[in-house]
Amino acid sequence: MSKKNVVIEVGDGAAIPDPEDKGLFTAWRISFFGTIAIICYLIIAKPDPYLDIIKFLPDGIMVTFKVTFASIGLALVLGLIAGLGRISKNRFFNLAASTYIEVVRGIPLLVQLFYIYFALGNLIRVPDMVAAIIAMGFCYGAYMGEVFRAGINSIDDGQTEASLSLGFNRSQTMRYVILPQAWRTILPPVGNEFIALLKDTSLVSILAVSDILRRGREFASESFLYFETYTMIALIYLMITLVLSKLLSNMENRLSHYERR
Amino acid sequence: MRGNDFSKIPTHAEDFCHVLHQTYREKKMLKKFALTLAMLICVSTTAMAQKTIVFAVDATWPPMEFLNSDKEIVGYSIDYMTAAAKAAGFTPVFKNVAWDGIFAGLATGKYDAVCSSVSITEKRKKTMDFSTPYFKVRQALIVPRDSNVKSLADLKGQKVGGQIGTTGYFAIKGADGVVAKSYDEVGLAMEDLKVGRIAAVVCDDPVAANYAMDQYKDTLKIATTIETGEVEFYGIAVKKGNKEVLDLVNKGIEAVSKTPYVQELQQKWIGQ
Repeated sequence: MSKKNVVIEVGDGAAIPDPEDKGLFTAWRISFFGTIAIICYLIIAKPDPYLDIIKFLPDGIMVTFKVTFASIGLALVLGLIAGLGRISKNRFFNLAASTYIEVVRGIPLLVQLFYIYFALGNLIRVPDMVAAIIAMGFCYGAYMGEVFRAGINSIDDGQTEASLSLGFNRSQTMRYVILPQAWRTILPPVGNEFIALLKDTSLVSILAVSDILRRGREFASESFLYFETYTMIALIYLMITLVLSKLLSNMENRLSHYERR
Repeated sequence: MRGNDFSKIPTHAEDFCHVLHQTYREKKMLKKFALTLAMLICVSTTAMAQKTIVFAVDATWPPMEFLNSDKEIVGYSIDYMTAAAKAAGFTPVFKNVAWDGIFAGLATGKYDAVCSSVSITEKRKKTMDFSTPYFKVRQALIVPRDSNVKSLADLKGQKVGGQIGTTGYFAIKGADGVVAKSYDEVGLAMEDLKVGRIAAVVCDDPVAANYAMDQYKDTLKIATTIETGEVEFYGIAVKKGNKEVLDLVNKGIEAVSKTPYVQELQQKWIGQ
């Protein structure tokens, strides 16, 4: 029996937003300007609920950004440590990092949020927002760890060998030779994680942290305008993530400048 | 059928197929039987012409409505409505629904009524219809045992929690200088109060009593019952204009409210 090899290629298709697409109607532009147009239309045509909703949300948006930036900072630190641990030759360090990633990736984020929020509450007194940030950062640190490991592994072994033969020790090699190069490979997936984290911060609303979603729910529960409120919330989230994904693709574009020449 | 399986152990593949077929047919017959039974039940209930009313309940509000250890929805309101149903001649079905969005589900017709300690307010009356009141409540302020807070006015600049979309939460929002914090369930607010993330919780007094005098009696206490101007009454909420359900519910409530069963329920669930 002849065996036919079926290969599913998971390659780099066109990214969204696709930096190569020079046409007027790109997917990104349609969604972005569409979102803005809908928001403007709703506010102007029906200011009664929609303008009130918009006015109710700004502090929620600030909280969402605060939680996102603080947790991505924490996640990057934890991720770098975990990533280095995963490729470390030190058995203890390696095992600790691998176990951390294994455990965290096996528990749903929502469950972790509840767990850390209420477990932490019984041990130490931290404000709710800090507890939420610790939980988000702790979880995303594990995913970041894998990103860092992949990025560092993507650098050719020859670089390490050359660096070692020039008299650098292992940590110097990592710091001056590998990480500066790996950064370029790591940045796009880190950016994606960043956007994913921003969307996942909506989960902290369950812990009574007053982010966009919580504020919206408070508005809806008082005014009974569920459809209108959630429409607005969805549009605002969409607008934020679209701006971020555009920024990200621009950044990637500039970083891949060297490779393209 | 499980017991017969041993006698049916086949020796040949053919036999095996035969047995398989037979079991398949048996199953089919069983299915038919079950279907007829179900239809019979349906027909008999329509023959009795009892209307079924589906009540949405957020079962996180002890002792009014909550889940017991057998995962059944129980509580004062549940007993009350069951008695009312018997008196008015309808079949009540209680469905556990999260509080946040419970009124949205009512508006879209996912259930006929909300029986979940809904205080009758002017604002709510604009979007839904209410039955005659069946219970009287006040808002209570719960604080840690060692606190000397006497009222909401003592809590300026501090965080006070309540369940989202409840009259307790609206009372916090209405208080000057107090930071209102909304929770999905009142139990989560109590937990946060216990660990000290918030300074107080405001909720209906029977619920407050349940938490502060029973579940968390070592750590929490009731500081005061807030006079919010008017006393609040619980009513059954139905979709605006749904007169059929409203009349049935009202009929039931009126019948029950005249009986001594109300005192009995008070004893059973609330004490005092």
